Amino acid sequence: MSATVVDEPTATKRPRGSMSPSQRRNLTGWVFLIPAAALIAIMSFWPMIQAFILSLQTGRGSNLDWAEPLWYNYQRLFQDEIFKLTLSNTFIYLIIQVPIMLILALVLANLLNNPNLRWKAFWRTAIFLPCAVSLVSYSLVFRTMFATDGFVNDALMWLHLIDSPINWLGQAGTARFVIILGLIWRWTGYNMVFYLAALQNIDASSVEAAKVDGANSWQTFWFVTVPQLKPMILLTAIMSTNGTLQLFDESFNLTRGGPAYQSMTMSHYLYEISFQRNPNVGYGSALSYVILILVAVLALIQMKVGDKRD
Amino acid sequence: MKNTRKLTALVSAGILALSLTACGGGNSSDGASSEGGGDNTLTVWTWDPAFNIFAMQEAEKVYQQDHADFKLDIVEVPWDDLQTKLTTIAQAQSWDELPDIFLMQNNAFQKNVQNYPDLVASLDDSGIDFSEFPDGVKAYSNVDGSQYGLPFDAGTAVTALRTDVLEEAGYTVDDFTDITWSDFLTKGKDVLEKTGKPMLSGQAGSSDTIMMMLQSAGASLFDAEGNPTITDNATLKAAVEQYKELVDAGVMVEVNSWDEYIGTLTNSTVASTVNGIWIVGSIQTAEDQSGKWGLTNVPALDGVSGATNYSANGGSSWAISSTGDFDLASDFLKSTFAGSTELYDTILPEAGAVANWILAGDSDVYAEPQEFWGGQAIYKDVVEFGTKVPSNNTGVYYYEARDAVSAALTKIIGGTDVDTALAEAQSTVEFAMQ
Repeated sequence: MSATVVDEPTATKRPRGSMSPSQRRNLTGWVFLIPAAALIAIMSFWPMIQAFILSLQTGRGSNLDWAEPLWYNYQRLFQDEIFKLTLSNTFIYLIIQVPIMLILALVLANLLNNPNLRWKAFWRTAIFLPCAVSLVSYSLVFRTMFATDGFVNDALMWLHLIDSPINWLGQAGTARFVIILGLIWRWTGYNMVFYLAALQNIDASSVEAAKVDGANSWQTFWFVTVPQLKPMILLTAIMSTNGTLQLFDESFNLTRGGPAYQSMTMSHYLYEISFQRNPNVGYGSALSYVILILVAVLALIQMKVGDKRD
Repeated sequence: MKNTRKLTALVSAGILALSLTACGGGNSSDGASSEGGGDNTLTVWTWDPAFNIFAMQEAEKVYQQDHADFKLDIVEVPWDDLQTKLTTIAQAQSWDELPDIFLMQNNAFQKNVQNYPDLVASLDDSGIDFSEFPDGVKAYSNVDGSQYGLPFDAGTAVTALRTDVLEEAGYTVDDFTDITWSDFLTKGKDVLEKTGKPMLSGQAGSSDTIMMMLQSAGASLFDAEGNPTITDNATLKAAVEQYKELVDAGVMVEVNSWDEYIGTLTNSTVASTVNGIWIVGSIQTAEDQSGKWGLTNVPALDGVSGATNYSANGGSSWAISSTGDFDLASDFLKSTFAGSTELYDTILPEAGAVANWILAGDSDVYAEPQEFWGGQAIYKDVVEFGTKVPSNNTGVYYYEARDAVSAALTKIIGGTDVDTALAEAQSTVEFAMQ
């Protein structure tokens, strides 16, 4: 309060006589914005522009030349069998894992929001905890668990569900399955927390009203709770899509992209192109722009489909 | 008063912005080279405390005997990170961030030197006598006739065998010496039948064994002009078919990770392994198996011209960076890794660092019987094997080709026809080279 009181006389006096109070406030705002804006421009936008310029060049290592035609690297992507494979792998993860994870998170959030539930804080923490684990360490733990002589095979053999160890990470199907399982374990709790937060904002009276009208718990959940969670579902869907398209750690640490590139993601391939093989940064930049475009397009579609607000 | 405060805020915000940008720009001051000249300190990047870092520390002591104020600043950088650092530095052209000396894996030499001609200094004027190193290891770091690396760690391939398991099946190490792969397969089936133990294990999706088979015949995945020769490569086809036979017969078991592979050796799951001599370090961690191991040369491919019983896998060489203190660094390397038996006498028993420097093999330390290996003087044998390894052309696209062959191998084991899978690998590499 006192600050405004002090401010007023200075403003009315207008010592320089050049600026109105609102102009002055505007200017102050801009001055405060400039450092952040400059940093974002230098560190975020400039590299993006540079990456785009780079994606129009070809060459090995530091011997770069303009591509002929300029869009050569983008054209090249369409002939790249490994890229197509990594693209389809990434979409398999996206299509299978994201819906399972979001539905699971929604159901768990709803269960944990039950006011009569005991040990509520414990359950919430337990389910959220996996996403506090480092990506590398959880990948390595999964890798050890699913080794041919690992815990999972031992457990399944002990239960007499299988006769001989399954080579989980050595076959395309099972390797992808392990990655999907890992992703669900790691990220369900994270999305659940978003839903829990959104559930707090739902007016209890709307749920009670539904109950009074004779809706069973499924109907209440589906017709009353879920519609009110829609903005949050949209947000988590976009974030998960974004994250899955940029998936790297699981592919890199869990399966090394194997066997024979069958579980490699686009970002992992991008890393291989840029650092592990003969660095072809031009081609790598083109690939990163394709990932960016995919993320943007999918997010746009989801916003169009999911958001019915005017 | 108010204006001063505003000004202060603005200036401090500006300073903050500047300092943040400076951080992003590159913290070139730390980790930079010693800027050459004068101060007698060399910066070294290398990765294994028990092995090459230890060797460098010993080399420092040797050199300090004549140069009292000489010092090394050794930074531990794992190989994968080192390669990424080199790529990033070269791409950003910030050469002054390079150390004076760094260790590079032999297989990456061609690629790094040719992609970044300003990265590594040529050792042609270093005064080092390269005739004292075997041709096979020199070839990795020789680009267009110039020598860029000083071979350090020998990747000479050996067959390490469990003598107790062989004995149970009625064999000795001699039965596996100077043999061919088909002999190995026949005897391996017999061992498997009598003891239940497969002979070999290997990482699925890794073509290390194939690459060793190729080099043992002086062959590679590239011709002299650097074109990929994955198809129409009789040696490769023979190696792949041999590998598949080994797997099909159960004489070779495939596991998923490096840890599992080491586990098969230390847990007595398999009766032998074929790999670079550096595998000895991992085998010797199983102290309970002391005296139960023997060592010999590798099997040769059947019906392949130029096939020998000698090969290599991996290994690394010292490089002097383009911005390093060349005079001091080359003199240091010349007087230690290329000129001091005293150094090799220390690092061999302590770190198992088998010399590439042929003269070191004359040292008594190499001739000492090793208790773990049943009293065999394995290091003397290995140095001798090393001189017989045929050289081959790794090429700039070594890693691309190796990965493509690994993928093909996975498919072949899975039932795909050999020619189809190799043709696919060939086109993958050709595509990568475009």
